[in-house]
Amino acid sequence: MLSSNQEDIKKDYSNINNITYGLFSVGQWHDKVAAIINHQVRNFTMTKSQKKELQIEVEQVIIALINKAEALVNKPKKTVDGKIKKFVINTFVDTDKIKAQAPAFAKTIIAQVDNAANKKKMSKMAMGKFTEMERTGTIDSTLTAIEVTTKGMYKKYHVASTAELNQKFNTSLADIRKSTYGYCFGMLGCIVVVLSLWWVFRKRTELHTTLFVMSLLFAFILLAVGLTASMIEVDARIKSLDFMLLGEHVVFKDQVLFFQSKSIMDVVLVLIGQSAVDSILVGVLILVFSVLFPIMKLSSTGIHLLGNRKLAENRFIKYFAFQSGKWSMADVIVIAILMTYIGLNGLLESQLKSLHINSNFLTIITTNNTALQPGYIIFISFVLYGLTLSTILKFITPHDSH
Amino acid sequence: MANILLIASLGILLCGESYFGYRLHTISAEQEQIKEDYSVVNNITFGIFSVDQWREKISAVVGQQVNSFSMTAKQKAALQAQVTDQLNGLINKTVAQINKPQKSLGGKLKKLAFNSFVDEDELHALVPVFSKTIITKINSPASKKRLKRIANSKMDQLEDQTYDKTEIAKNAMTRQIFAKYQVSNAADFDKSIRNHLSAIHTLTYNYAYAMLGCVLAGLVLWLILRKKTRLQTTLFIMSLLFAIVLLASGITTTIIEVDARITTLNFKLLDENIAFTNQVLFFQSKSILGIIETLMKQPKPDSILVGALLMLFVIMLPVLRLLGKGLHVWGSDRFADNKVVRYLAFESGKWDMADVMVVGVAMTYIGLNGILKSQLSNLNMDTGPLKTVTENNSSLQPGYLIFVAYVIFAMVLSYILKRIAKPQEKNPQVLDEENVPT
Repeated sequence: MLSSNQEDIKKDYSNINNITYGLFSVGQWHDKVAAIINHQVRNFTMTKSQKKELQIEVEQVIIALINKAEALVNKPKKTVDGKIKKFVINTFVDTDKIKAQAPAFAKTIIAQVDNAANKKKMSKMAMGKFTEMERTGTIDSTLTAIEVTTKGMYKKYHVASTAELNQKFNTSLADIRKSTYGYCFGMLGCIVVVLSLWWVFRKRTELHTTLFVMSLLFAFILLAVGLTASMIEVDARIKSLDFMLLGEHVVFKDQVLFFQSKSIMDVVLVLIGQSAVDSILVGVLILVFSVLFPIMKLSSTGIHLLGNRKLAENRFIKYFAFQSGKWSMADVIVIAILMTYIGLNGLLESQLKSLHINSNFLTIITTNNTALQPGYIIFISFVLYGLTLSTILKFITPHDSH
Repeated sequence: MANILLIASLGILLCGESYFGYRLHTISAEQEQIKEDYSVVNNITFGIFSVDQWREKISAVVGQQVNSFSMTAKQKAALQAQVTDQLNGLINKTVAQINKPQKSLGGKLKKLAFNSFVDEDELHALVPVFSKTIITKINSPASKKRLKRIANSKMDQLEDQTYDKTEIAKNAMTRQIFAKYQVSNAADFDKSIRNHLSAIHTLTYNYAYAMLGCVLAGLVLWLILRKKTRLQTTLFIMSLLFAIVLLASGITTTIIEVDARITTLNFKLLDENIAFTNQVLFFQSKSILGIIETLMKQPKPDSILVGALLMLFVIMLPVLRLLGKGLHVWGSDRFADNKVVRYLAFESGKWDMADVMVVGVAMTYIGLNGILKSQLSNLNMDTGPLKTVTENNSSLQPGYLIFVAYVIFAMVLSYILKRIAKPQEKNPQVLDEENVPT
C-alpha cells in the first residue's frame, strides 16, 4: 500500500520537476530572454574600431549623396527657372564645405544610434515582440496545459508554490521511505522468528507439519508483497545545465528526464508492452520465474508434505518442491544487472574526477539516484526463504525426497 | 605409465586452456578500456550538450553567411523601396516644419526663399535617384567589406559572451586520452581505436574458440577412455581443473556490452548543414565479477547485500561444488564419505546458481536491448530539415560464451561423477537438477 502511495507521489514529483516545466518551458525562459535582450540592446555598445568603421561608412554614403546632388544641379538646365536655381545654388552653396562637414554629420548619426533613450525604445520593442511570440497559439496552449496540471497538483497537496510543493514531496517521501523500510524489516523479522521456531522445535516431529504449513503461508505473503512492492527506482536527470548565453548566465538544475519506481509486475508489463517478440518473451519468462514457479513450488511443497505417497513421489511435484526455487533468483539477477548497467553509470564522472575537473557545471545525464527498493529485498528474502524451506522439507518429509 | 602420459597430455591441454583464458581476460579488459575511453571522448556531454560546440557550429554558419553575403536584385529593390519611403517621409517632415507659420522675420524669409526655389514634388521625384545612390554605395566592394568587418566583430563579441565549461573539460580529457594512445588528433584517434578494436575482436573470438577446443578435446579423451576405470580418477580431477579455468575466465571476461549512440544529427540552419556525429549516449561493459564489484562498492547496504549474494551463489558455490566433487573422487574413503563433501558434491545443486545466471544474463540482455531499441527508435527522426540516426551496438560478449560453456561442462561432470561414483557405495540417486529434463 505504502509503496504504491510512494509511487504516486514520485510520479507527481517527477511531473512537477519534469523537463517540460524547466528547460522546455517558455515561462522559465521568459525572464532569461528578457535579461538577455536588456543586456544586449540597452547596453548595446560598439567598440571604438567598430564605431570608426561605421562612421567611415556613413561618411561615404553622405559624400556620395552630395556628389549626386551636385551632379543633378549642374546638369544643363533648359528652363529659366531651372537656370536661376542652378545659379543660386552654385553661388550660395559650397559643396566642398558641405563635404567637409560629412564626418560631423556621420558622427551625429552614430551618436543618435548610440543614444540611451533610443536603446530603451529598441529593447522595449524587442521585448514586445517576444511577449507577442509567447502568446501565439501553440505555446499558449501548452502553457495553459501546464498551468492546469500545476494547479491541480497544488490543490491536491494543499500548497501554493512549486518550492513548497517540492518540500512537501521531500518530507512525505522521506516519511514513506522510513515506514516502508520499517515494515520491510518487520516482515523480515517475522521470517527470522519463524526460522528460529524451526530450530527450537527441530526435535518435536509431531509439530513439524503444522509448522511447515504455517511457514508456507508466510512464504505466500512474502511473495505477494515482493511482487507488488516497488523494486527498483530509475532516476535519470540532467544534473545541471549551466552556460553563458550572450552574456547572461543561464542555469537549470536537476532536470528530471525520467523518474519512476517499478515493481516486478511493472517490469513484466513494460517488457510485454514492447513490440519486439524477444522482449515479450523475456517478459513472459520473468513472469514464469517470479509468479508461476514460486506458486507451483509452494503448492507442491504443501502437496508433497500432506498428500498421499503416490502424489508425493510424483516426479513433477518433487522437482518443483525441491529444485525449482533457485530459478526465481533469475529475476533477482536480472534486476541486479540492470541496476549496474543503468543505475551506476558514472563512467564520465569518474573520469572527470580523476582529472580533477568539476563536473557540476557540465551537462551530464546522471542516473546516480537509481536505487533498489524494499520490494527487492523482500523478493530476495522470499527466494532464500523458499530454498531454506525446501531444505527443511527434505529433513522432515515422511516420503522419499530423492 | 598410462597415467603419467594422460596427465602430461591433459596438462598440456590445461596449460593451453589457461593461457587462452588468461589472454582472453586481458584482451577483453583492454577492449573494455579502449571502448570506455572512446565513449568518454565522444560523450554527448561534449557534443550535443555542449554550448561551446553549438557556438562553434552556429558561428561558422553565420560567419559563412555574412562573408558570402551579397544582395540579390530583388533584395536590392526591396531595400531601395524602403530607403525611398524613409527619404520621402523625411522630406514631408522637413517641408511641414518649414511651412509652419513663422513668427520671426528670418523664419519668414527662409520660408519664402524655400517656397520659391524648392518644388516639393521635384524633391520627391529626386528621391528614387538618391536612394539608388545609397544602395549602390553600400553595395560597393569596399563598403561591403567594411560592413562585413563590423558584423563579424560584433559576432565575435557575442560569441565571447556565450560559453559553458565543456571546452576546458573536453580539452583536458582529450589531451590525456590522446597522450595515452599516442595520437595527435581526433581522426588519428578514431583510426587507431578502430584498428585496435577489430584486431581485438577477432583475437577474443579465436581465444574463446581455442579454449572451447581444449575442453572438447578433454571430453573426447574421456569418451575414448571411458572403459579404463583405472584412469578415471586422474581424468576427472583434470576435468575439474578445466572447469575451474573455464569458470575463472568466464566471470572475468566481459559478458554484455551496452552501447547506444546517436550516429548522426543533421539539420539545416540558414541553408548550412549542422551536423553532430557519433554521440555516445550511453556505454557500459562489464564482466560478472565487474557487476558484483560495482554492487559491492555502493554505499547502500541493499546493493552490498545483493552483490554479496551473487558472489556467494555464482562464484563461491560453484567453486565449492567443484572442490567437493574433487575431494569425493580423490580423497580417502573417510574423506569421500564426509557429510559436507557429499552434500557439496551431490546435493548442493539448488544453491549453485551459475545456470540461473546464464538465463538471467540472457534475459537481461534481450530485455535491455529491446527497451534501448524502442527508446532509440523514438529518437530516429527524418523530418526533412532535421535528421537523426541512432545506433544500438549492444552485444553479448565472449565471456558469456565461456560462462555458458562452463555451465554445460559442469553438468557433464556431475553426470559423469554419478556414473563413476565408487561402486561400493550406495548409489547416490541424487535428483540433481542437471539431469532432470526441464
